[in-house]
Formats: sequence, C-alpha cells, structure tokens
Amino acid sequence: MQNAINQLLDSANQVILGKPRQVRLALCCLLARGHLLIEDIPGVGKTTLSHTLAKLLGLNYQRIQFTSDILPADIIGASVFDTKSHEFKFHPGPVFNQMILADEVNRATPKAQSALLEAMEERQVTVEGTTYPLPEPFFVIATQNPSHQIGTFPLPESQLDRFLMRVELGYPDPQAERQLLTGQSRHSLCESLPVKLPPEQLQSIQGAVAQVHVSNALLDYCQGIINFTRSSSEYHCGLSPRAGLALLTAAKAWAFMDSRDAVIPEDLQAVLAAVAGHRLRAGNSQSEAIVAPILANVPVH
Amino acid sequence: MIMKAELDKNILIFLLSAIGLIVFPHVYHIPPAVFGFFCLLLGWRFAGIWKRNWLPKMPVILLLAICGIGLLYSQHQGIFGRDAGTNLFITALGLKLLEIKAERDLYLISYLAFIVAASQFLYEQSIAMAAYILLVCCALLAVLVAINSYKMQTSAALKTSAIIIAQALPIAVALFILFPRIEAPRWMLFKDLHQNKTGLSDSMEPGSISDLVLSEELVFRVKFAGAIPPPNQRYWRGPVLSYSDGKRWTQSSFQNPLTRPSVTGAPYRYTLLMEPQDKNWVFALDMPQEFSPPLTLNAAYQLVTSDRHDKRAEYQVTSYAYYNTGSLNASEYKAAIQLPAEPSDKIKQLVGQLQGFDGAPDNFIDQLLSYFRTEDFHYTLTPPVMDNNPIETFLFQTRRGFCSHYASAFVYLMRVAHIPARIVTGYQGGEMNKVGDFMEIRQADAHAWVEVWLKDKGWVRVDPTAAIAPERIEREISMDRRTSYGIATANNYLPRSAYDWLKQARQLWGSVDYNWQRWVINYDNKNQSSLMSSFGINNLKTMVYWMIAVVGSIAAVLCWFLLYQKPKAPDNKALLFYNRFCKKLSKHGLFRGAGEGAKDFAERAKVKLPSLAKDIDRITDVFIKLRYGRSASEEDLQQLKSLVALFRS
Repeated sequence: MQNAINQLLDSANQVILGKPRQVRLALCCLLARGHLLIEDIPGVGKTTLSHTLAKLLGLNYQRIQFTSDILPADIIGASVFDTKSHEFKFHPGPVFNQMILADEVNRATPKAQSALLEAMEERQVTVEGTTYPLPEPFFVIATQNPSHQIGTFPLPESQLDRFLMRVELGYPDPQAERQLLTGQSRHSLCESLPVKLPPEQLQSIQGAVAQVHVSNALLDYCQGIINFTRSSSEYHCGLSPRAGLALLTAAKAWAFMDSRDAVIPEDLQAVLAAVAGHRLRAGNSQSEAIVAPILANVPVH
Repeated sequence: MIMKAELDKNILIFLLSAIGLIVFPHVYHIPPAVFGFFCLLLGWRFAGIWKRNWLPKMPVILLLAICGIGLLYSQHQGIFGRDAGTNLFITALGLKLLEIKAERDLYLISYLAFIVAASQFLYEQSIAMAAYILLVCCALLAVLVAINSYKMQTSAALKTSAIIIAQALPIAVALFILFPRIEAPRWMLFKDLHQNKTGLSDSMEPGSISDLVLSEELVFRVKFAGAIPPPNQRYWRGPVLSYSDGKRWTQSSFQNPLTRPSVTGAPYRYTLLMEPQDKNWVFALDMPQEFSPPLTLNAAYQLVTSDRHDKRAEYQVTSYAYYNTGSLNASEYKAAIQLPAEPSDKIKQLVGQLQGFDGAPDNFIDQLLSYFRTEDFHYTLTPPVMDNNPIETFLFQTRRGFCSHYASAFVYLMRVAHIPARIVTGYQGGEMNKVGDFMEIRQADAHAWVEVWLKDKGWVRVDPTAAIAPERIEREISMDRRTSYGIATANNYLPRSAYDWLKQARQLWGSVDYNWQRWVINYDNKNQSSLMSSFGINNLKTMVYWMIAVVGSIAAVLCWFLLYQKPKAPDNKALLFYNRFCKKLSKHGLFRGAGEGAKDFAERAKVKLPSLAKDIDRITDVFIKLRYGRSASEEDLQQLKSLVALFRS
C-alpha cells in the first residue's frame, strides 16, 4: 500500500512542482479522513493541487466557486416542483460529490459558508426534513485568500476547527518556477493523469491508518504539547481536545505513509504546524513560526 | 567546551547582577577610587553584553590591569592586610569580567565572587549582613546552576540553588559547632590604617563627650546572674582623669602598688560581653572585686585586659556597690589636688563662700551640689562653646553644660578647697533588654562623674550631674536618647503606645543580636570547649569523631533523600539506556535537543559520525520500537542494553 502512496506522490509532484511537503501533507490529510484548507494568495496552485489529487484518487470532482452572492441552495441543492408528478423533487447540489473544491471559501457570506461546513462535519445534508447522505469518501478542499485581501469574510475559529489541516503553498523556488514556465500547461497535465489509488484502496488505507499504534510515551508527548499551548503566554487560547484528537489522527496517517505501524514524536512534529497553526492563531498564516515555540520547549522523553 | 551562544546573554546579565550585589556593601569599606574602578569595569562589561565590539582588546585589558595595580599600590603600598587584600580581589574580579571567553571563565569568576562575598565578613558580622551574603551566594550559585542547565530559567535556577543551600546548611551548622576552632596568632593579623572607632578617650575636655551622646553604637552588654543594680548605681568605670592643664584632663601615670578596697554588701555577679574596642579598657560596675585573667585592676581601680581588645570578648566579673578604698599615699594625694595655675579671685571667693570657715569636706560637697541645684545652672547637650578658661566661663557666665562640664568644674573647685578629687569617665545607666534579660550599654550612656577622697571613706563617688539633672541618672531609659530620636520632644507627638511598641521591637532585635554575637560571632575555642564539655565531650579527638559522625549522618540522610527521589526519572529502562547512548554521543559535541525526537537526532548524529551510522541506526530503531512500538519484548531491551554498552564513542 505504501508503494501506491509513493507512486501517487511522485505523480503529483510532477504536476505540482517544488512542493513535495505540502503535497504529502495534503495526502496525509485525506488519508486521515480530514478536510483540507489551503490558504494563499491567488495563482500559486491551490486549484491545481486539489484537481491533481482528485484525478490521482479517481474521485468525482466538483469545484464550487464561492462568491459574495452564493446561497446555501447553490451548494447543497434545492427542492423543485415537478409539474409531471405534481410533487417537489430534490435536486442535489454540487456538494454531492466525493471531492469538492470550495474555491475562495472566505469570499462567501457566513450563511453560505455554514451550509458547506455543516455538510463537512455531518457528512450528510438535511433539506426540508429529509436527510440525504453524502457520498463516501467525502473530501472538501477549501481554498482561502489571506484575510487581509478585500472582500473577504474570514472564517471564525469554530469553523476553521472543522479543517484537519491548513497548508500554505507559497511561491515556488526559482528552479521549480523555471520548469513551470517552460513546461506544459498544468491543466492538460492534470487531465492526462491516471488513477493511482482507487477509492476502494483508499478506504482500506483509511482503515489501516486508524489501526496505527499510539504508545503511552507518545501520548505523554502529545499531552505535553497541548498543555504547553494552554499554559504558555505565546498563545491566546490553547488547543482543544478536538485539536488533540486531530493531531493524533494526522500523526497516525503520517506514520503510515512513512511505513511505520507506530507513531513516533517526529510524526507529531511533522504535522503539528499544519494541524495546530490555524487553531492557535487564526489570522496568521505563518504556521511554522506559530508552532516553533512548541517544538523548542516541549521535551521529548 | 563550547559556549552555548544563545544562553550567553542571559547568563551574563544574571552573573553580572549577582556580582554587583556582592560587591555593593564594600562601598563602605574600600576607597572610592577602587570602588569606582570596579564599577567602571562592571559597567563596561554590562555594555559589552549588547555591544560586543565595545569590549576591550588584549592590550587595553593589560593597560587596565596596570592601572588597577597602580591604584592598589597608591592606596595601600602593598597587597597584605585586610583592606589591601580585599581590594586586590575586587580589582581582579573586575578585570576578569572583561575577559570572558569560555565557560571556564564563568566558573572562575563565580569562584572569585564567592571569595569577595566572604570578605564582607572581615568588615561586618551582623545578622543582616550574614543574611544578605547568604542571599547573594544563592544568586551566585543559581548562575552556576544556570550555566549547567540546558535551558536557562531564572526562577528555576534560583529555586535549585536555594534548595542546595538549604541542604548544605545543616552540614555547615554541624561543622561550625564541631570543627576545632583555631585562633590565629596575633602577629598574623595585619593592622590596617583605616580604623577609627568612636568611644571614650583617655583625655577629656569640657564638651568632649557630647559627640558620643548621639551615638547609638553598642559598647557592651551585661548579663547579670542574680540581682540587678538600681539605675543610680549603674556606674561603669572607665579611665580616671586626674591631671588638668586648665582645659584638658588626662590620666596620671602614677603606678603605685594597689591596695584592694575592702567591700561590703551584696555582690553583683555578671558577664560582660564587650564589643570591639580600640582601647584595652573593660568597663566594670563600681567596684570590681573578683575577676579572672587576662583582666587586671589598675591603680585607678579600672579593669584593663591584656588580651586582644579589637574583637569581642567575654568576661566574668563580680562587683560590690559599697567599698572603702582606704588611705592615699603622697604621690596620689599630690596628683589629686593638682591645679593648672593659681585660681582666680573669683574662684577663691566662691569657694570661700561655699566652704565657710574651715568647714568639713562633706559639708562643702553638699554646699557645692546645692549651689548647682539652686543657682541658675542648666543641663543641656548643646552648651555654648567655651574656649578660654572654660571652667570660669562655665561657672560664672554660661552656666549651661552637661556631665563633663559639671564634673570638671566640681573637681576644680574641690581641689581649690584642698580636697583630693578626680574625674572618672565611663558609662552610666544601661537599658534592660527584657526579651533577652540582659543590659545594653551604648555610647550614648557615656558619662563623667567625680570621685572625692574623704578620710575614713576613701574615694567616694559624687555625681554633680545628678544634682542638676537627676533624671539623667535615675532614668531607666536615656532622656537624651529619646530626645535625639525625636521621640520625647517638647510636645511629645508620638503616642506612648507607639513608643512602647518601638521599644519592644528594638529590644527583641537587641536580644536576637545579643545571641548572635554571643553564640555565633563570639564562638571561639574557649566557648566551644565549654559547650562541648556540657555535652560530655572533653577532648579534641572525641570532638572530631563527633564531627565526622554528625556530618556523615546528615550526609547520609540527604543521600537517602536524594536517592529516594531519583527513581522518578528512569521509570522506563529503554529511556535509561537511550540516555546512556546520548551521553556517549555528547562526548562528540552532539547534544539532543529537548524537543528533538530520536530519529531526528540519529539523522544529525549520522552526518557528524558517518563511521558509526550503522550502530546509531540500530540503537535508534530498537529504542523506537521499545518506546513507541506496538509490541516490544524483554529481548529488545537486552539488545538495546548491549548495543549501547558496545557503542564506541
């Protein structure tokens, strides 16, 4: 299974140039059944990343472009009166897909944002009293512009918490940028990608990830991190128990991708920035800098 | 040894602050030039923390060292003696500060600072100073703790050092009590130039005692075994002045064989605890009768000691309030009626008027005392200045003065009337410390009174001051002192209860201080052997055995305590072995960071030690398996143990 994962990562890195760590984190997030938030300025490859992953995983892919006038019905669907059968019929919205790219999620109004975020949390949609389950697997990759840009409604902390990870892409390095400028168009590359990890295999991997062993020593370290964020003056408020669970889940997936059946502190450290960054300081996109004091101060025993 | 660059700054600030605190009390003891030089060096080093390139280069340091040597030489002309030695250490400490290059230098500076801290005790041995030194030593120890800890945290380091000091204290106490005390021979103690003690002098001019009256400095303490004399008998005898040049009174140098006075009445037995003096006088209650060497009674019935008087000393004395010194010999008589010049007519007229025609000496004394009482004489601590012919000026013009004025005028008039008389200086009074049940006599109690020789009675004490200001003699607490404290002013603004409270607090502190002086500072080999014999320890050998036993048992208790606490850390065998492995790697300058996982550390170690890469990987893998893995067996633990043991560093 690790073989398939590595092949998938190789293919993805052919398309997304110079960002192996972010690609790995994004996949880790999916393997841990989490939703991913990509935060960066427009044009650094947020959409391409999500599109590539959808292709490689062979998932139904739908992009929802969030705008300031988008309505909840535009996302989850609406009941329409059918003149033939004389009854209301539910027309599912774009959310009924295996992988959703919620593009520029912070440009929509809070009402529309909540519609999506509720669907993410519940993995089902209720319209007019009827509950419709969402397909399995179900992933949301949301992209977000830095909140200082004009015309944005920043997601509140409670909703940011729904995303397992937040990843920043950043500019490519000069070498990767040169390759990008001279190479094929990313879009056509994306279209031609083969499926590397079919949904059934993905589900079995997700099952295996949940089985990765967590020792007491590691739990000590994990609790050390959580307690540090709660007691340190660096942070406005510490990590919640949900954040602790998210940290462990992500670390398990990371350990699995590293072909290990037990989590070690390095796994926690690898995913810490992506998992804890947006939970500790919502407005700041420098995740690595946010968690640096944790890595420096919490001792590993 | 590599310096941890990022910790450098905090530790330096900490160290320099601690050193500043340690040297600070020396501002009272060392010349301003030396202290200024040290402050300059310390300030320079402080600035150097933020501006590294401001620090002096080698030639400049050399120049500064030469300056320092020059400064020391100009102040002391050598490096021997207490002051010179202390200054040498302080200057050396300041110079060394500018030369911190490696961790080794930090250690050296800390040790030097401990010596400077200890040198404070050469000057002052009060409880407050001891507490202060203990505190700054705690700070200094915390610097050493911080240098050796991975992450510098001021509060944690201070806590650790406080614990260390608390653990060391019982051992220190045991050593203090039981270690054989060695007295340095006198020739080993270098005399220092800057020694100036206030106190009674061996001469007296009218007005010369007034500068003492405002001094609260303790002169001696007395602990009575039994009855305590009433305030009007508390005359502590000092030098006797019998020669006058009209203005100045000095001691006569006659050395006649002394006849012990005959005594009657109840004895007062007491222990005198003298503070350091610059004279070898011991102030005993009138009249000392029983005392032991090194005390001797001189011709003027004053106790003197042949032992060292510049340190605290303890004496057992028995005095009797009623005595008869017997007859005078010719030279004594001559000295006791000596006059500087022929008295003026005015004086003669006064004496004639008071003495009447051929009156008895007793009668004349009474007449003179009542003259002082009834005429317009005043007792004041701030009399007008009397330069020429002070006695006449005092008697006929100013009529304001205190004990020395009245005593000298009284003796002068006695001698004009051919009655042998002399001035006795010393201390009068003393305040009982109710807490410690001992009496404190301060410089403010300095007094001068008169002795008149009467046939059949010998030398008889007469205190003219008592006639003019009886409250000065009869009081329990010095009026002068209360006035000088601003407590008993004309309109007594401080409520009585507040004054009582202040007095109690003072007495409590005085009692604590007495016990400190008595049991700590004055704990010499004599006191030690008497204390030891009360425990049944009679010779040095037994005492040393006891010392070893006590220190050993305290150490054993501490060891047990520390070992008992220890098992908290290595609850996990795998971690224990892994830590051994880390220790081996640390010899190569590889230190695992607090937040560094085993795998990351192994990667780093492999880069630095490629030849050991295989071993490092194996150990790390087994450790990870044991520590974080799903199923680890006892064999894995044994494997880790042997791998670590075999690991060549």
